[in-house]
Amino acid sequence: MFNILAGNLPYLLQGAVVTLWLSVVVVTLGTLLGIGMGIIATTRSRIAQSIVTGYIFLLRGIPVLVVMFLGYYAFPAFGFRVSAYVAVGLAQIVYLGAFVAEITRSAILSIPAGQIAAARSLGMRRGAILRQVILPQATRLAIPPLLNSALTAIKQTSYASVVGVWELTYAAREIVERTLAAFQIFLGVMVIYFLICYPLSLAARWSERRLSFSH
Amino acid sequence: MIEVRDLRKSYGTLEVLKGVSFSVEKGEVVVVLGPSGSGKSTLLRCINQLEDYQGGEIRIDGASVGYSAAAQGRNAHSEAVNSRLREQVGMVFQSFNLFPHRTAMDNVMMGPVYVRRVAKQEARELAGGLLAKVGLADKAHQYPAKLSGGQQQRVAIARALAMQPKVMLFDEVTSALDPELVGEVLRVIRQLAQEGMTMIIVTHEIHFARDVADRIIFMDDGVIVEQGAPERILSNASGPRLRLFLRRYQGDYLAS
Repeated sequence: MFNILAGNLPYLLQGAVVTLWLSVVVVTLGTLLGIGMGIIATTRSRIAQSIVTGYIFLLRGIPVLVVMFLGYYAFPAFGFRVSAYVAVGLAQIVYLGAFVAEITRSAILSIPAGQIAAARSLGMRRGAILRQVILPQATRLAIPPLLNSALTAIKQTSYASVVGVWELTYAAREIVERTLAAFQIFLGVMVIYFLICYPLSLAARWSERRLSFSH
Repeated sequence: MIEVRDLRKSYGTLEVLKGVSFSVEKGEVVVVLGPSGSGKSTLLRCINQLEDYQGGEIRIDGASVGYSAAAQGRNAHSEAVNSRLREQVGMVFQSFNLFPHRTAMDNVMMGPVYVRRVAKQEARELAGGLLAKVGLADKAHQYPAKLSGGQQQRVAIARALAMQPKVMLFDEVTSALDPELVGEVLRVIRQLAQEGMTMIIVTHEIHFARDVADRIIFMDDGVIVEQGAPERILSNASGPRLRLFLRRYQGDYLAS
């Protein structure tokens, strides 16, 4: 019953490799961007705060598909030619960044004021307090929601197929058009997406345990 | 060592300190008593500039805290200047505020390593000695979550001492503890007093105040109502506000 899937598996796996690459780039850069923005949002500069807050609120209110279309058409509109991969990748990085910024911001703000008072009373400077007191504790709080946003971002790379980026979902649709075996092909696609996401879930569980405070 | 002159502090329109003046000599132990909301904790937090203040002046060893006089009014010190000042002032909090992601040893090493830039090995020896001093040598590698409240508070004292402060501020350090754990923390503070550490202690333990204080300051409603030797303040309370306060803590008072 799965002979059509078996025959087309190599083609699907080629698509999976592209999906994997896209995911690694989007999750890495999007998370780094978001963490930076989140830290900036907790500094005392009003201007920086309102820029980041505006960014977060704007992108939270737009579907990722619309952001991707905007990214895809924005460059030609200003006379630039970039590949669909770059346009879509950038759109997804910016989109993920907004969610990560919010996670980072709220994790930092949930560190009790007493922790900062204690560090200041020792004479610690702002940078040392951030690195040694705030971020280690905020990291532990942020890992479960960061994992969630990373997994969402990986799955959302499938939307890239809509603007003609060839990856796993696009490859699957090509095969289905040729063979009409939609059910078994998408069953295969499902398993591949799961296998990409599952190790990340495991890694997050592991790091959550490792970072817990009561060993 | 510490001079506070006409200190005024408000949160918005709420005036918390309404002109507080006193001084603390080197080696002196001053206990501040007063009902909740009288401004005791705020006073301590102003002394190491965890809170800013609106009027008056604080000096530690002659150096002005938080602000310097200017031609017109005053200029706020930079955060770097405030940090240097805080290095010389140890503070212990009601809620311990140990760093939960660090062991007892690492908590005590934080100041020396990240402020003084002392080598890790040297800091470890210093921290080990201080943990032994507060009776916790065997708990050095435990995380705070595994320690009792009394043990956590003793680690917090060791952490403050690791910066070799000129003065120690204690902000109701036994108020969050179960009664049977209070003694172990007070013993450590008493030992420091005997060693000649300059201290300002905010507490509700009147018995302890009588025992350890060179001088007692009684505050109410943002002002110092009375101050003097423990015997005079506690046994011959004159003013009505002080008498009311002492009556409220009568159980403890009679036990002394």
